[in-house]
Amino acid sequence: MMVPVRCFTCGNVVAEHWEEFDERANEGDEDPEAVLDELGVERYCCRRMLVSHRDLVDVVSPYQ
Amino acid sequence: MTAEYDVEFVETGDRKARFLVRGVTPAFANGLRRAMVADVPTMAIDEVRFIENSSVMFDEQLALRLGLVPLSTPPEGEFVDDDTVTLSIDVEGPGTAYSGDLVSSDGLVQPADENVPIIDLKDDQRLEAEADAVIERGKNHAKHQGGVAVGYRHLQRVTVDGDLPEFEDEQSRIVRGVIEDDGELIPTSEFDDDLSNRYPGKEVHVEDVPNAFVFHVETDGSFTVAELVTRAVDTLEARATELEEAVQL
Ligand SMILES: [Zn+2]
Repeated sequence: MMVPVRCFTCGNVVAEHWEEFDERANEGDEDPEAVLDELGVERYCCRRMLVSHRDLVDVVSPYQ
Repeated sequence: MTAEYDVEFVETGDRKARFLVRGVTPAFANGLRRAMVADVPTMAIDEVRFIENSSVMFDEQLALRLGLVPLSTPPEGEFVDDDTVTLSIDVEGPGTAYSGDLVSSDGLVQPADENVPIIDLKDDQRLEAEADAVIERGKNHAKHQGGVAVGYRHLQRVTVDGDLPEFEDEQSRIVRGVIEDDGELIPTSEFDDDLSNRYPGKEVHVEDVPNAFVFHVETDGSFTVAELVTRAVDTLEARATELEEAVQL
């Protein structure tokens, strides 16, 4: 649904980078690896939180 | 202990730092790491009263998200165990409710990150809630864990034994952490973690420096790294004093 606030593994706050990551790597055509490096999301545990996330609010909201 | 106690910074930042501690035992180094993870109290939202929630997520889910938002933690002694600080949030759709929309009743306790999306609100949806933040320890709940990815490695000493045999192929030698070369501290990232980049054509050997540990510490934003480490040391000291008093006749 919404992006997890923290990384499940290490507890780093990752949600604050989601909107920029989504805009640049998912909507835009930038390289996700480069975007994550630039955002300072270093460890692969935190990186997978953003890379594998899919926002579902728009999908479920019609059934509210 | 053989080496003299000493602290040296390799990398310094507000939320992330690396420093070398000499002259402590492995047990003490690990005690310090554990204190940083589990024993330094931080503020976090613990109870939420929903006045209106017409979003697509349940109250409980939103309460969890609010709890995980790091809050700035006031100086030691400002708050004791049962004190609470009330924060309120009132956002109407369409739009996103962010952690920055939390309004605190106490200037010392503010969201450390303002950009954390709490919930995406559509037309006519609204989130209005009141939350109580409490001060607690990481061992009770991960949301109170101020230190993130706290760890340490031995400091490694590199010594050059001589030249490689003339016709031998250069092989990469990966070392991570911080190395010591003639008393100089060099993070391995400076030579791409590969000793053959720094000592081409040389035969080297690597050994751990006894009782010297390089700590890597990050915080979730509740306080600075310096603050986290000093508070962790204080909790260790407090427990040692408590033990000393308890075993006195
Ligand atoms: Zn992580």
